[in-house]
Amino acid sequence: MVVLASVLGVFDITLDKLSNGELWLAQFFRGLSDGATYASVALALVMIYKSTGFINFAQGSLALLGVYLAYIFSVEQGLPVAVAVVCAMAASSVVAMFVERVFIRPFPPDHVLPLVIVTLGLLLIIDSAVGIVWGFRTRSLPSMFPSGAPIEWGIAQLTWRTIGNLGTVFAVVGLLYLLLSRTKVGLAFRAVSSNLESARLVGIRVGPTLGFGWALAAAIGTLGGALVVPDLLLEPSIMLRVLIFSLAAAALGGLDSLVGAVIGGLVVGLARNLLVTFLDLSELALATAVAVILVVLLVRPTGLFGSTRVERV
Amino acid sequence: MSAAVPAGSRQHRQRQIIGWVLFAVVVALIPFLIADTYSPTIFGNRYTFGLGNLSQAIGMMVAILGLNIATGYSGQLSLGHSFFVGSGAYLTAVLVNEFHWSYLSTLGVVVPGLFVFGVLFGIPALRIQGLYLGLLTFAVAAVFPSIIRLDEVKDRTGGSNGLLIESDLEAPTWAPLGTVTEWLHAIPGVGSRVPDGLTGRQEEVVYKYFLLVIVALVCFWLVRNILAGRVGRALVAIRDNPLGAAANGVNLAAYKTLSFGISAAVGGVAGTMLAMHSGFVGPDEFGFSMAILLIVGLIVGGAGTLHGAVVGGLAIQFVPVWSSQTQTLPGTDVALEGPYGTAILGGLLIIIIFALPGGAAHGFRRIKARLMPVAPQPPTG
Repeated sequence: MVVLASVLGVFDITLDKLSNGELWLAQFFRGLSDGATYASVALALVMIYKSTGFINFAQGSLALLGVYLAYIFSVEQGLPVAVAVVCAMAASSVVAMFVERVFIRPFPPDHVLPLVIVTLGLLLIIDSAVGIVWGFRTRSLPSMFPSGAPIEWGIAQLTWRTIGNLGTVFAVVGLLYLLLSRTKVGLAFRAVSSNLESARLVGIRVGPTLGFGWALAAAIGTLGGALVVPDLLLEPSIMLRVLIFSLAAAALGGLDSLVGAVIGGLVVGLARNLLVTFLDLSELALATAVAVILVVLLVRPTGLFGSTRVERV
Repeated sequence: MSAAVPAGSRQHRQRQIIGWVLFAVVVALIPFLIADTYSPTIFGNRYTFGLGNLSQAIGMMVAILGLNIATGYSGQLSLGHSFFVGSGAYLTAVLVNEFHWSYLSTLGVVVPGLFVFGVLFGIPALRIQGLYLGLLTFAVAAVFPSIIRLDEVKDRTGGSNGLLIESDLEAPTWAPLGTVTEWLHAIPGVGSRVPDGLTGRQEEVVYKYFLLVIVALVCFWLVRNILAGRVGRALVAIRDNPLGAAANGVNLAAYKTLSFGISAAVGGVAGTMLAMHSGFVGPDEFGFSMAILLIVGLIVGGAGTLHGAVVGGLAIQFVPVWSSQTQTLPGTDVALEGPYGTAILGGLLIIIIFALPGGAAHGFRRIKARLMPVAPQPPTG
């Protein structure tokens, strides 16, 4: 008992904070909302990893570009936000297909390191291009969902935005699942991700299929960005912060599992909000996320749902 | 074009010695030439480069050298090298401020401390491979600034405000820096470029530069010796073919952790050097933007080569400095504003990967092989 009290004392945990149900619930909802946004960018990362076997560090930057386009379409051109986001998703997929064709396809797909480095270069270029074109002034993008909360319980509010974020992510996963399992393009995509050489031998056009994967990933990433930005403000470094949490989510769930990305995103979001509130670690939001991944990766080096790659000797 | 010189012959040795002497002369003369800032005007843009920029670049070179050991030589993607550099810098800052150590003596704590830290970091890294390791290290790099800002250590580290380091590195009286400047100034013709004597502040900058050059040379020499022998061969074998290396008796676990240990120790020295150079450490300096910059430097210079670290350090220091001072597009009136330097570095990274995968060091080597061919000699026995 004394030990417990002293442990609690170290972390500055007061018992009434722990027994405060409303606070728990409030942080739980906030965690779900954050988690959904991390999950959506993590889904984009997983799409690229599934098809090409590397991590696109420029995913956040493509999403950043998409969100700025959404801002232009909605705030400056006056389109409804939802329509603007869809247009931005389409535009960013075109950019992503161009990027894939020009910068990624010339490299042999089995050498992962140069490709990762190229995406780091793209990250630097796109982020600074956004800074050059739109400057560093912060802007606000309206949310796609109505404000207000249908369910309130003291300070705990389940807002439309939280519901919308979660709903969007589950809808995206559902649609992706249908796309991958029920359509011809999806079948081609799965064939390419399972074995590139054999896919080519049975006549699948590998290049366009990968381009399609990139376009899809960019669209999902842009959607994720459009979910994040209303909570924060739009400025050129915003997606870099989201990218780190999303990378954490993807690594946690296993880099090649769509379900894993969603669960990883939610876990990171919840861990971030709950641990930070109850352990009073406001500076350590990211560190808690990193600690969670480290522990998971030590137990399961390929994440929670990732498949183990078997090496042939 | 001259005929190929046999490797190891007297001519070849002479050529090498001439090369090193030229290098030494350039390194020794530069500080006197730009002790008073060098401000050229190129295409209508006025630039100001100080010796401080070069000193900072030397710190970056050593940081890249450290990263090179883990990533360039042993092939483990580490995007978190800034963590080690930052730890070294803060360790130095705290030791100097609170215990009144001299900068150089802090290396006695930084090197073993960071080595142990790197080994501890390398142990979990054994289980986590490839891109998962890249992700984890990237996240670790992003965490560093928030650790520094923690309430528990804020009093020591200065939190968000950073930490001003008290000790001033003053040139000792026995170092005849001012006298040398006056001699150089007295040389007819070229001497007019050198100022007539040094002010106290300039003398300090020049002294720091020489100190940093010496530390850097020692680091490069030690790393070269480590990598030229058994350890280096083992690391390269692990990078090129881990299974083959293991089959030939290389203890993968031991060498991988060792590579992280050495990498972190060298990174820590780089941190000490950067702290020495600027007399200030701030948390955001050592965040993930530095981690990415170091990777850029590594690749642009040439991963897995020692010369590459030199080129890379110069690139990641001078490209941003150059572009932030460029007001208009060279030769025109088009105004440039915004983070062009970062965009250029990103572009450089991609171009290098496309056109010169071995990095600038590889390019230089090819040019040198063309101009001054050396014929390899089979070992006689």
